Amino acid sequence: MSRRQKTTIICRCEDITEAEIVQTIRKGYHSLEELKRILRCGMGHCQGRTCLNIIARIIMRETGLPIERINLPTPRPPLKPVPLGILGRYNEENE
Amino acid sequence: MNKTCDAIVIGGGIIGAATGYYLAKQGLKVYLFEKSFPCSGSTGRCIGGIRQQFSHELSIQVMLESVKIFANLAYEFGKSVEWYPGGYLFLAHSEEKKKAYLAAIAMQRKYGLLVEFISPEECRKIVPQLNPDGLIGGAYCPTDGQANPFLVTYGYLEGIKKLKGKIFPYTEVKKINLAQDRVRSIITDKADEFFAPIIINAAGPFARKIGKMVGLDLPIYPDRHESLVTEACERLFDPMLVDYRSDGCYFLQNYGTGHFIGCYTPDPLVPGESLSSTDQFLTEMPRRMVRLVPALKDLKVIRQWAGSYEMTPDGNPIVDRTPINGFYISAGMCGHGFMFGPALGKFMAEMIVRGQPKIPLDDFALNRDFKKSEAMK
Repeated sequence: MSRRQKTTIICRCEDITEAEIVQTIRKGYHSLEELKRILRCGMGHCQGRTCLNIIARIIMRETGLPIERINLPTPRPPLKPVPLGILGRYNEENE
Repeated sequence: MNKTCDAIVIGGGIIGAATGYYLAKQGLKVYLFEKSFPCSGSTGRCIGGIRQQFSHELSIQVMLESVKIFANLAYEFGKSVEWYPGGYLFLAHSEEKKKAYLAAIAMQRKYGLLVEFISPEECRKIVPQLNPDGLIGGAYCPTDGQANPFLVTYGYLEGIKKLKGKIFPYTEVKKINLAQDRVRSIITDKADEFFAPIIINAAGPFARKIGKMVGLDLPIYPDRHESLVTEACERLFDPMLVDYRSDGCYFLQNYGTGHFIGCYTPDPLVPGESLSSTDQFLTEMPRRMVRLVPALKDLKVIRQWAGSYEMTPDGNPIVDRTPINGFYISAGMCGHGFMFGPALGKFMAEMIVRGQPKIPLDDFALNRDFKKSEAMK
């Protein structure tokens, strides 16, 4: 693993480097869903909007899989992080 | 590739992974089949709580064993699984609840569990941010805890690979072939046939479907439960909080990451295989969390999802051999699969290899009377 790969942060919410991602792919984990669960990449504040497409390209480079066979994980609500206090008052305020 | 092995495990969640691992440790060559990716089902959707506080004797015994295993998994795998004994605090807001907890505590103590009923003041020493309104105390066990379901499951799977086994992700079992009254082989969705004298059904919400392949009608039906996770923050408190009021909820702060993660049991229940998440949960769960711990109000929700509780009629799993020789079931975990997994994996391996697990699993038998019920669901 090159010094560049060890110091390049791919998932900025969870601090995951390119080297960690490549090592995990080389262990045989070739899907974004698996990488997400093992490394937590894409599970932070931005929900993978920053990193998942970059990781898909790393998978493509490492495995030769065509990009259309690398599925994006299921998107989860809410679209943007929302405070518990605001969500919790939603029903009261809209009754 | 060699198409013959000693045991085929169907299901890549905690139950399949742990069972496969302990079988491999006994010297069996294990092939594990998962129709999607490992942890794609109930295990990967659970919130990672681990408790010994049950009101059912066998569940208490199983969990005493599981906690011992969880506490040692980091040594076993050479890697942390984020096990943390932060405890469980079951809150009582009524005399009736208090009485039920006291009865359960008496039973739990018979097995040596460190558990007691504590006052509201003591609850607030453990969770200073806890709202004391209506609180009359809580059942507290400091040796309950939490672990990361992904790290535990993938740890077991890596272990199977090291012990000469094989994992087949994205490979669905379509058919099970019998030879007279015993199992012979499976056929996958890629039309491959694999042979083994032992097949274990650890398919979670799909266990009923797998059972049908050999003519068994298993009483296992999934219910949908929902969860959410917040952003991380500094450590606020250790235990899982369980609020059993009719509009209660349960949540904990993840030790490894600092996120809060939690769910509630929907009323009425939502039967079926659906895993879609609802905006009703996204507004109701925060209301319940903030009511219990007002200090959480500014913490942001980053994600919500749903998962299955695979329910049996009495709230206990089915872990047993079957009338078909070589076909075993470990499923219907009723929402306790992750915490039961390590011990049940070990016990199932003992049942298969030695004929009898260390603790008799009569209450989890396939042909039991399903009318009795577990109260601390």
